[in-house]
Amino acid sequence: MVSAMICLLKMPCAVVCSKIAKRGGAAWISTLAYSLAVYAGAPDVDQIFSARWAAGIDDGRSQLFELGWRPEARWRFNDGGRLTGRLRLRVQTESGTRPGNIENDSFAPATRPQTIGETGELDLRELYYERPLDDWYLTIGKQQVVWGKADGLKVLDVVNPQSFREFILEDFEQSRIPLWTFNAERSIDDWLGGDWTLQLLWIPDQTYHALPKQNATYAFSSPRLAPQPPPGVSALIRSSEKPDRLFADSDAGMRLSGFVSGWDVSINYLYQYDNRPALHQRFISGATPLVEITPRYHRMHVLGGTFSHAIGDWVIRGELGYFSGRYFLSNASQAQDGVASSPELSVVIGLDWSGVEDMFISVQWFESWLSDYRQGFTRPERDNSLSLLTRRYFWNDTLQAELLWIANTHDNDGLLRPSLSYELEDNLEVRAGLDIFYGKRAGLFGQFDNNDRFYISLRYGL
Amino acid sequence: MKIQQLFGMGVLLMLICEAVWSTPLPDADEIARRINARDEGVAVARSLTMRLTDRRGKTRTRETRAFRKYYGKEKRTVIFYLKPANVRNTAFLTWDYPQADKDDDQWLYLPAMRKVRRISASDRGDYFLGTDLTYEDIKLETRVSMNDYRRKTTGEDEVDGHHCYLLESIPVDEDTARELGYGRVEQCVDSEIWMVRRSRFWDIKGKPLKTSYFRDIRKVQGIWTQHRIEVENHKSGHRTLFLFRDVDYEHGVSDDLFTQNALRRGL
Repeated sequence: MVSAMICLLKMPCAVVCSKIAKRGGAAWISTLAYSLAVYAGAPDVDQIFSARWAAGIDDGRSQLFELGWRPEARWRFNDGGRLTGRLRLRVQTESGTRPGNIENDSFAPATRPQTIGETGELDLRELYYERPLDDWYLTIGKQQVVWGKADGLKVLDVVNPQSFREFILEDFEQSRIPLWTFNAERSIDDWLGGDWTLQLLWIPDQTYHALPKQNATYAFSSPRLAPQPPPGVSALIRSSEKPDRLFADSDAGMRLSGFVSGWDVSINYLYQYDNRPALHQRFISGATPLVEITPRYHRMHVLGGTFSHAIGDWVIRGELGYFSGRYFLSNASQAQDGVASSPELSVVIGLDWSGVEDMFISVQWFESWLSDYRQGFTRPERDNSLSLLTRRYFWNDTLQAELLWIANTHDNDGLLRPSLSYELEDNLEVRAGLDIFYGKRAGLFGQFDNNDRFYISLRYGL
Repeated sequence: MKIQQLFGMGVLLMLICEAVWSTPLPDADEIARRINARDEGVAVARSLTMRLTDRRGKTRTRETRAFRKYYGKEKRTVIFYLKPANVRNTAFLTWDYPQADKDDDQWLYLPAMRKVRRISASDRGDYFLGTDLTYEDIKLETRVSMNDYRRKTTGEDEVDGHHCYLLESIPVDEDTARELGYGRVEQCVDSEIWMVRRSRFWDIKGKPLKTSYFRDIRKVQGIWTQHRIEVENHKSGHRTLFLFRDVDYEHGVSDDLFTQNALRRGL
């Protein structure tokens, strides 16, 4: 009787789930997760409610208003397995950052978030089953796999694509796009001695970076990232030509990570489609000439490694990545469709210092070099960036003051992000800060010089 | 002979007897050795509730699960945060080596970054994730550092009805004092079970810093175990209460828990 009543109470949820499922994509997984709640027992549940508002500093206009709900449920099974599901429902009211202003065709159908009206978005962020199996630890399902040691600057953190809805201002945890992945890890101490883990990845999910549409607040306009049609010529962006073969177009990777004489090290390899599309262009002459832009994705090999080591008050860390062939915009006449490829070598070295109590200072130096650089590339052969992060904790970590500065030393542009966050209650955090872009409009950061903003956010956990 | 004279002679006699027959205080290093020689079990699993209260009485509560295991003299400790949702999945791992000249290795997993971060072991005087215990306090648990201090036994006292010896510890040099954040430590060590029942700390300028009480000490599976640690910071007025429960020394703790992979996966 009681069970029947519970089922009746839960039926509306089931109806909602099935409606969501009818909307296509991966939402049937939500129904599956719900069924588990009914048949596999009550899960552990956490929920985060959030609200964010941002306004332009220059014009005072509201730039973003977002309400979010992020429930997480974990089911445990007797065989040692565990199923974790994370949903994200958010409502965006400002037109420049609405879900409809993000290119959705870079998502595979099973990964694409469900839009609800003009402003809502429901996303099955993660759903994975994990369990030890003999010497292996398997994690299967939609998940995030994070590689690398760098903060804020990505070299090897490329397994999952990213949403650039707010350029790089959104937390990576939220902007990173989880993928359907088979992830197997095994300790191989017995093979190599010491502490070593082998990770194998198979990612049959053809989802790539989500880029803002042309009228979005954070639409790319820098010549480094966006084609620049001649005056009087309009641009027409076609649907992307996206790989769609489940097996043949899968990504695959491997990481060997270990701890040797006080050093954390890893060797990483990934065979993937570059998450960043190459924007192939075709000039169409006529009465109203236009440039037709078609985003295409290209295969590449990524080979790299990471390290970190603590010495006294210092931690040194770094990562190196070699990308066998990346496509860049090119103005050269021989680059017939406006793009040309080159291998890229990227390196980041970071130095963290925590010599003063409750204080953390971190400096990073980043360099990217194109080994087959040719005249006409819209980015430089060598590109350099620096970052500085200072963080200070007060009142038993309830108040945190932070300043992050990222600067591109080639274009002399950058981003300043001072912020204050305070734990108002046990589970309630308020954060306020500024995001200030500076530099020339052609630069990566300078392109958003008009988007300087003030923001305030609230986060409540249950 | 007057009564007062008789009383005076009696007191004098008692003092002489006390001086002649009283047991000398045990050597400080011997007390430290006894503290560290106490059976802690090879491995332990336990739940730990942390209550952090500021001077205005506002309280934050964290639920964690903590594990510790010895590998010979090397000690590995890991703490997983379970609640509240804001800090869930935060995890801290330390490998503590017996060699005095070898820094510990420490890692912190921050779920917002989804990365295991190497942290400097010289942060040991920093306060651990908003509590009034330092990373070093967390690492040492019920033990004392043999290399960081010069110590002497200064007297006797009583805490919660238990007789104890007073152990005064002074950092071996200024650098160590700065690293630890303490200029002097006075511990009241139970003379029967060799556990610290009270610690008083002074900062490097000699000002009172904090006082810790270790209470509800009882045997679990044959091992004396503290179930309650109360710390009051005299400078900030902030207080920390650690409550241990479900302490288990017998059922073993998997080696896999003391790895970076375990930090990432959580409990």
